Amino acid sequence: MSTATDTTDTTDATDDDANATTAPSSPSFGGRSRRNLPRLRHLRRLRHLRNLPRLRRLALQSLLPVALLIAWYLLTRFALVERIFLPTPASVGEAFVKLLLTDNLLNDFQISAITVLKGFGAGAGIGLVVGMATGLSRTVEDLLGPLLNGIRQVPTLAWLPLIILWMGAGDLGKTVLIAKAVFFPVFLNTLQGIRGTPREYIEVGRIFDYGRLRLLRRIVLPSALPGIFVGLRFGAGISWTVLIVAEMLGARRGLGFLIMRAQELLHSDQLFMLIVIIGVVGFAIDAGLRRIEARLLRWKRGFEG
Amino acid sequence: MTVTPTTMTATPTIDVETRGLTKIFAARHGTARITALENVSLAIRRGEFVSIVGASGCGKTTFLRILAGLETEYEGSITLDGLRIDGPGPDKGVVFQDHRLLPWLTVGENIGFGLLDLPKTEQRERIRKYLRLVGLQGFERAWPAQLSGGMAQRAAIARALVSKPRILLLDEPLGALDALTRVYMQRELEKIWTREKITMVMVTHDVEEALYLSDTVVLMSARPGRIKKITPVHLARPRDRENPVFQNLKKELLVEFGLRAKSLFSYEI
Ligand SMILES: Nc1ncnc2c1ncn2[C@@H]1O[C@H](COP(=O)(O)OP(=O)(O)OP(=O)(O)O)[C@@H](O)[C@H]1O
Ligand SMILES: [Mg+2]
Repeated sequence: MSTATDTTDTTDATDDDANATTAPSSPSFGGRSRRNLPRLRHLRRLRHLRNLPRLRRLALQSLLPVALLIAWYLLTRFALVERIFLPTPASVGEAFVKLLLTDNLLNDFQISAITVLKGFGAGAGIGLVVGMATGLSRTVEDLLGPLLNGIRQVPTLAWLPLIILWMGAGDLGKTVLIAKAVFFPVFLNTLQGIRGTPREYIEVGRIFDYGRLRLLRRIVLPSALPGIFVGLRFGAGISWTVLIVAEMLGARRGLGFLIMRAQELLHSDQLFMLIVIIGVVGFAIDAGLRRIEARLLRWKRGFEG
Repeated sequence: MTVTPTTMTATPTIDVETRGLTKIFAARHGTARITALENVSLAIRRGEFVSIVGASGCGKTTFLRILAGLETEYEGSITLDGLRIDGPGPDKGVVFQDHRLLPWLTVGENIGFGLLDLPKTEQRERIRKYLRLVGLQGFERAWPAQLSGGMAQRAAIARALVSKPRILLLDEPLGALDALTRVYMQRELEKIWTREKITMVMVTHDVEEALYLSDTVVLMSARPGRIKKITPVHLARPRDRENPVFQNLKKELLVEFGLRAKSLFSYEI
């Protein structure tokens, strides 16, 4: 950091985002400091407000969920809806404790999570590799393109009966189903990302005598990365959905199975609880991927709203 | 990979030679066919500084791209050091009209783009040295998106210089700079040119800049792109821009350029 460290951190309060990663510190070439010092001294008095934008965002983001919770509470508190349709928040909490302690919720959760991880890992991995191969070679594209496009037209869930017939309703079948669902968004976005690499950048590589591997590592892949992440995030969302549906249709364990059981037993409080859990997990997966994305694509400055 | 030696009549000091260079961009849906270059013949001596000036669209960038080996479909011949140019390579450094820094690499990594085969310590040393040379010290770890247009151009110049090319092709390298930085960079370019003794071909819109730096100024005319006038500049370096000979050359070139003083001022009457 430069000599102006003391004042720089107050300016950062206004742009709350993470682009302070490698802020250049020394004054620019003309020798003129880019920071406006007198104005900063005035700002220093407002130091305690530096978290204000972040707080504001947090408040905005939680506004609707909290309102929904309150509405839920009020609806049940004054018994405006029958409990079988809308259980009270408290009973949903109790259901959670009961599921956790006596019904081995964690066990089912673990089974679901592992299946998703396996399916997502396999689908994303194969999607990346095949997408890269297809993106880099017209021969591979001609070879695989028509077949893959045909398979893609059949919705994932239409494959379910066949896959159960071949591989049973166990882990393997679900993993394959999820992998298939994840494969296509990852594959297609990788392919597109690679094909979208600007010719101008490739020329820079050619001038410095880059071979295929270096071109790929330093130019093509970084350029395709934003697209690849679109595919990964989309795929992660699908994988969780497909898992739950598959478990609902044919399984003896896992969160999807618990939902079906809760429905049969008319445990609407459990049903609510499971829906919340599934939603929260899906949300967490996406948030995790977004963090990784923000880290890998920190060079990118897009429209921030 | 054909290697065609030039005829023995060529003087041994000739570095780059083009003969009857013609480049036609085929008509595409909605656009007519364009003769970007027509019969361009030019000999550039080893270590010469050549500037190319001319109106927008007269084929300057196209000419430079052919020299760089990036454009391979053309008529006529072009040789570097007696050998046909058959592709780009680190011996031909290029500073593009758009800076073309890779946005996912830091400024330092961009400048070291052509140094990957050197040991890490030497890479770092050279990057530092050229960062300083173009006045970007302290920005090694910044992203290109954090630079101003002129700073990005300077980084691109450093990237081209750092791998010590035999010939440097510059496409309006100082276009986005303010007047002061521009003069500073002109002096730096001249110093580098004197020190490294490399052949430089620079495209510019600025006639004064061309006269200040070049041994030869090539004026091109548009549609079709042709060489209109070749002006040798026999003035001692570093040149004095106020020198009457310099001023006269400038006036002559501007007139050829089409900027006749009369027509320029007639609007104000
Ligand atoms: N890839 C291309 N396809 C078709 N036409 C092109 C292509 N590149 C250039 N041209 C045409 O060739 C002509 C010369 O273009 P060029 O880029 O060489 O001009 P220039 O002298 O560098 O202009 P400027 O000073 O504006 O950069 C223009 O008329 C342009 O339309
Ligand atoms: Mg141009």
